[in-house]
Amino acid sequence: MTEYGLRVGRAELGSAGPITFGPAGILFLADNATATVFAVDVSDPGRTAGSGPFELADVDARVGSLLGADAADVAIRDLAVHPDSGNIYLSVQRGHGESAQAVLVRIDRADASISEVPLTDVPVASVAIADAPAPDDERVDVVLPLGDEGEEITVGSRTIRILRRPIRTSTVTDLAYVDGALLVAGLSNEEFSSKLRRIPFPFTDAADAAGNNLEIYHVSHGKWETAAPIRTFVPFDGGRAILASYTCTPVVHFPLAELAPGTKVVGRTVAELGAMNQPLDMVSFVQGGEEYLLVANTSHGLIKIARRDIDAQAPLTEPTEPVGVPRETADLHGITRLANLDGEHVLALQTDPDGRRHLRSLKSASL
Amino acid sequence: MVDRSGVAVSWSRHGGADCIRLAGLAELAGLELAARVRIHPVSAVALGTAPPTAGRLLRDGPDTCFVPRFPFLDGTAYVVTVDGAAVAELTRAGADEAATTEVLAIHPSAATVPRNLLRSYVWFSAPMSEGYAAGHVRLVDDAGDVLAGALLATEQELWDAARRRLTVLLDPARIKRGLAPHREAGYPLRSGAPFRLVVDDGFRDARGRRLRAGAERRYQVAGDERRHVDPHTWTLRVPHVGTAEPLQVGFGRPLDHGLVARCLRVVGPEGRPVDGVADVGAEERSWRLAPRQGWACGPHRLVVDPVLEDLAGNSVGRVFDRDLARRTDDPRGARPVTVTFHPR
Repeated sequence: MTEYGLRVGRAELGSAGPITFGPAGILFLADNATATVFAVDVSDPGRTAGSGPFELADVDARVGSLLGADAADVAIRDLAVHPDSGNIYLSVQRGHGESAQAVLVRIDRADASISEVPLTDVPVASVAIADAPAPDDERVDVVLPLGDEGEEITVGSRTIRILRRPIRTSTVTDLAYVDGALLVAGLSNEEFSSKLRRIPFPFTDAADAAGNNLEIYHVSHGKWETAAPIRTFVPFDGGRAILASYTCTPVVHFPLAELAPGTKVVGRTVAELGAMNQPLDMVSFVQGGEEYLLVANTSHGLIKIARRDIDAQAPLTEPTEPVGVPRETADLHGITRLANLDGEHVLALQTDPDGRRHLRSLKSASL
Repeated sequence: MVDRSGVAVSWSRHGGADCIRLAGLAELAGLELAARVRIHPVSAVALGTAPPTAGRLLRDGPDTCFVPRFPFLDGTAYVVTVDGAAVAELTRAGADEAATTEVLAIHPSAATVPRNLLRSYVWFSAPMSEGYAAGHVRLVDDAGDVLAGALLATEQELWDAARRRLTVLLDPARIKRGLAPHREAGYPLRSGAPFRLVVDDGFRDARGRRLRAGAERRYQVAGDERRHVDPHTWTLRVPHVGTAEPLQVGFGRPLDHGLVARCLRVVGPEGRPVDGVADVGAEERSWRLAPRQGWACGPHRLVVDPVLEDLAGNSVGRVFDRDLARRTDDPRGARPVTVTFHPR
């Protein structure tokens, strides 16, 4: 793992966030509490479990059982499938508040056994993803503290207590690895902008690690141009393109090759998913030799879009229905996370009407 | 608790850690403890095949202690199984502490907000738990009815690093002109229809306690705000040379509470930032800087980070949703904007 810059150490997670696999079975884990992305060698047992669907009912209660917690105290933040073994990795937050702990869990594809993945004494690398100010920027974020934190300063006749600490944070909403770079989408707790970071991997020094900040805009109906944070995205077309969905729901296509630092990129809006609906996750899969994209939503069922339709879709310029690329909506609700299980199945995390969570396989050929 | 099996089970401590202690467990030759004693949360027992709770079984004199891999959770009930038979159920006592945490402030602090309001902030007096915002923060009308779909549901809540300031976004898809959600559902707010941002006392602090009380702030709703934030239209009250009088800056409209605190700075004649104490004024309509040392002679620059936004997400650099046909909406660049002044 040294060729990827990993050294034996500890991935000290403050919170469980999005995860995705990179090269050589390295798992990237975003930690929003410490504004860090870790790269961890998960030492996957590595036996290939063969194909076939994978189903596991009450996955939250089962994971909770291992962690000594009720299902209500377990939040499954993301899932990823090891590209070789098919083992399933879950990014899990156990407990709330002070007692909350971030845990990485592996579910064995062959026998559905559940185990904790060690994050101590493992090959690890990390990169900070905070919006660090430029080195020549002497500003500090000064806030009036609420208790007795901070330092006292005197100005004229007034003595006040101030706290020099950034309160701006950047929350990672999605991650993907493409051709030697980790793409990181984030949501700021202050400014409303669209930033996609491209961080070279292996991680290099701090300056490089800040990555390219790519500003991506989209135009609605040829009339209004906006920036918005990307909520979920998926590379497709062999990593040549990105399909992204925004907090404001348009699905936007942009070619990766156009993403150069300092350039403003205007994506092509290819679909709108409608009101009172938020896209949650996307995955690309192959059916009958053609590539499709599958979008999980808060209120719509799964939406399936063909790559050829994305390629053929002119930018949306008229507010007419239906909006954008042809799509099929499967009557599958409650799906919050998607991952490719193997060439024939997409793995879905589904919440049923009782609030129980299940892992289930969707046959690619039938989607 | 003593079961028919003769095993007494209790909460206890071992080696500085909480544990479940089993007394009277008869040794069975050839059987590992781990194969005999299993702990599960009660809620997982019905599944039948749920994995046992991770932890170590340690001998402590005649007793056996289960030390969990992760601390027991308050309020959770655990079942202890010995040789396949449940011998005890123990519930971890919940923290029964009085509520002390409260809402300190809700921003914007302006009484009137634009119809295309984008963002609010809630300040708490102590660190909070995540996972409660969607259920315990809402917008309601004067009749108390929830404005459905007004707030953006995010899976990962937006907190500051200390978990005391929560950022709440209104659904941008309903604010942006031209998008399907805007056409189908309209703005989350209506001009002339007051609303309240409500935080109820079920929101839990980091120790799992409810809030001491709920909190709310009521707003009037005006028309849309779609202009750039333009520092060149601000009013400056310029201090006297040699004094520590504050520089006072009036914005002409309320700006974003989170951004205004960090997007403004003053640079002195020698190019160094003027150190001092900055305050944001009422309704986030003004800002002032009291210097630590007296003002120098010569040109000073008020430097404005172009990301500074108003309540509707219009910044110095760009408007929230740009009408491509309106030249006044054109982006104004990503460089800081400066306003020069000379202390008198």
